[in-house]
Amino acid sequence: MSLMGLVTRRFPFGLRWLGASFWRLEHAFERARAAGRVEDDARIRIFVVMLCFGLGFGVLAIGATQAALFSGAARHAVTGWTPPQARADLVDREGRLLAADLLHFGLYVDPAEVWDLEATRVALARALPEVDAERLERALSGERRTFLVGGMTPVEKAALHRLGLPGISFEPEQQRVYPLNHTASHLIGFADTGGQGLAGAELALNDDIRSLAGGGGEVALSIDLRVQGALEDELRKAAQAYGPKGAVGIVAHVHTGEILGLASYPDFDPNEASAATADQRLNRAASSVFEMGSTFKAFTVAIGLDTGVATMASTFDAREPYQLGYRKISDFHASRKVLSLVEVFQHSSNIGTARLAVGVGPERLSRYFTDLGLTTAAAVELKESASPLTPKVWNQDAVASTSFGHGMNVSPLALTRAMLPLLNGGKMIPLTVRRQAPGYRPEGKQVLSETTSAQMLQIMRANVTGGSGGKADAAGLSVGGKTGTGEKYDPAIRRYNDKRQVSSFAAVFPSDGPLENDRYFVLILLDEPHGSPETFGYSTGGWVAAPATGALISRIAPFLGISRHIGPLEHQPRLASAPTILAEAR
Amino acid sequence: MSLLSHRVRGFRLVDVIALGLLVLLIMSVYLAKTMAGRERAEIASVERLIAAERAQIRLLQAEVAHLEQPSRIERLSSAYLDMGPVAVTQEATPEALAQLSLPAAARAKPAPAPEAAP
Repeated sequence: MSLMGLVTRRFPFGLRWLGASFWRLEHAFERARAAGRVEDDARIRIFVVMLCFGLGFGVLAIGATQAALFSGAARHAVTGWTPPQARADLVDREGRLLAADLLHFGLYVDPAEVWDLEATRVALARALPEVDAERLERALSGERRTFLVGGMTPVEKAALHRLGLPGISFEPEQQRVYPLNHTASHLIGFADTGGQGLAGAELALNDDIRSLAGGGGEVALSIDLRVQGALEDELRKAAQAYGPKGAVGIVAHVHTGEILGLASYPDFDPNEASAATADQRLNRAASSVFEMGSTFKAFTVAIGLDTGVATMASTFDAREPYQLGYRKISDFHASRKVLSLVEVFQHSSNIGTARLAVGVGPERLSRYFTDLGLTTAAAVELKESASPLTPKVWNQDAVASTSFGHGMNVSPLALTRAMLPLLNGGKMIPLTVRRQAPGYRPEGKQVLSETTSAQMLQIMRANVTGGSGGKADAAGLSVGGKTGTGEKYDPAIRRYNDKRQVSSFAAVFPSDGPLENDRYFVLILLDEPHGSPETFGYSTGGWVAAPATGALISRIAPFLGISRHIGPLEHQPRLASAPTILAEAR
Repeated sequence: MSLLSHRVRGFRLVDVIALGLLVLLIMSVYLAKTMAGRERAEIASVERLIAAERAQIRLLQAEVAHLEQPSRIERLSSAYLDMGPVAVTQEATPEALAQLSLPAAARAKPAPAPEAAP
């Protein structure tokens, strides 16, 4: 059988056609010679071959050019890869780095490539003391390439690489790093190795942080690192002086709700969050609720003014304890006289405040507390924001108790949010941990009149110039505020324990100037502080929290662009030379 | 005689031209590919360097942030420079500088009354 016959019978049509065409072409020359047209057919043949080559090379040239010039594969391989767990940087309002993904390395061991098992075991055990021996042994005696340890810095990787151990290899990985360690730890929070936020802003803004990763994006928080640093320093000093079990510090802008500083003591290092205790990780500013004590009198007075139950000229009889039902309400420092509204505030009179609250009545008081956000968790992005404990029934007893900050537990953030309308013209706005654009003024419900707010600024200032908040004053900064000392309920003795207090100072500065001016709220709170010889054993808000507040305000005012309004020589008795300044700055 | 039939040293002119074109095509593709490959390798190498530099810059930024953390600066400045928070007595406005430069006695003295007009 001929080859053509074999092709014809055994193969499908397509192949048969191809074979026949080839065969015809191959014998074309013979046929042409037989027909006497040799030259003509050779030219056709050459033309066909040239055409095929030309087409082939053309396609190749186009393909090669495209591959060489327009393929982004290589570039993509170098720079374009974003790990699935990647997170964008966190920065403060001035762009200072708070959290970042940094290049780290994971170490892998491939036993099949290890030459000297014993030498490798010894070298790795010496270089990586944190890896336990059993894990190392398992990796070295396994049958496949195994991950041994992750999170190695480039320096650690280079040190291990220099050992030249066969079978040891590295793979790049991103790791979340918090370069400021303990600073702002509760506000920043932390994320797990899978790139999921677990606490603080890392959890609250998780979606934004994830979506901006890879493109060099960053998420700006509202805090100012300088304010945060001063806040933590003053809080730490107060904690060292009075030994509380916990402490909280908050600085917020009254018109924007931006949190410029938030500190909770004790704190922790987010780089080693798992090593911290639950107590250290607890964000007391958001997650803990306290009976705030007399700082609530600011709300009662504001509500009294706003409802018209009281005016600045109103007086309250505080000569005798106030008998309300079965309760007898008395003052911490009995003044035994008729007090004006401002004096009620200055003396932190329970009697005067309770009388005012009874005048307001349970229905209006509870409605105002609701409007001020005191009956719900503080509106802020932080998921830790805790719900308050509120009276089940708003009766006379609840009115009297809550009017001076008992019978109701709120978080420091909720207290902060409720204070803002008293200081910003009466508008209820949410708190935020995001940096806002300059000139930002959020929408909010008008819960108090502007007049009430202006009066509250005056009353709070009067409390610092002539009341219980004197130790919070800072020269020329017009500090206003209210002390708070809430006794804690002690289950062991089934009543309030005057030895266990929550002492705080809620301040505003500057309290003067038009309502729309930039103004800041500051809260310092110490949970169960202990008096010292300097405080004559007192651990009340006016003794332990107010001085820290004043010192803090004095430090942060320049950062916030608030200048002192006093005469040039009043606070500058002499021109201090540099050495004098250094000596006096202690 | 047509151009296609013309012979040069026994070879058809059309064959010689076709061969020349073929060689030219091969050479040009080879050169283009080789040069592009070299460029690409160089670009990739530079981009790797840039990526490494960026990683290094981020490391340094994190290191700077770590070293500049407020509590550390505060601790070091008080321990080695004997510094502390600025007190109110250490603040001055530019307008007050002229008065502050005067001796204490001169500052305490009230300004002289203007002379009476004749």
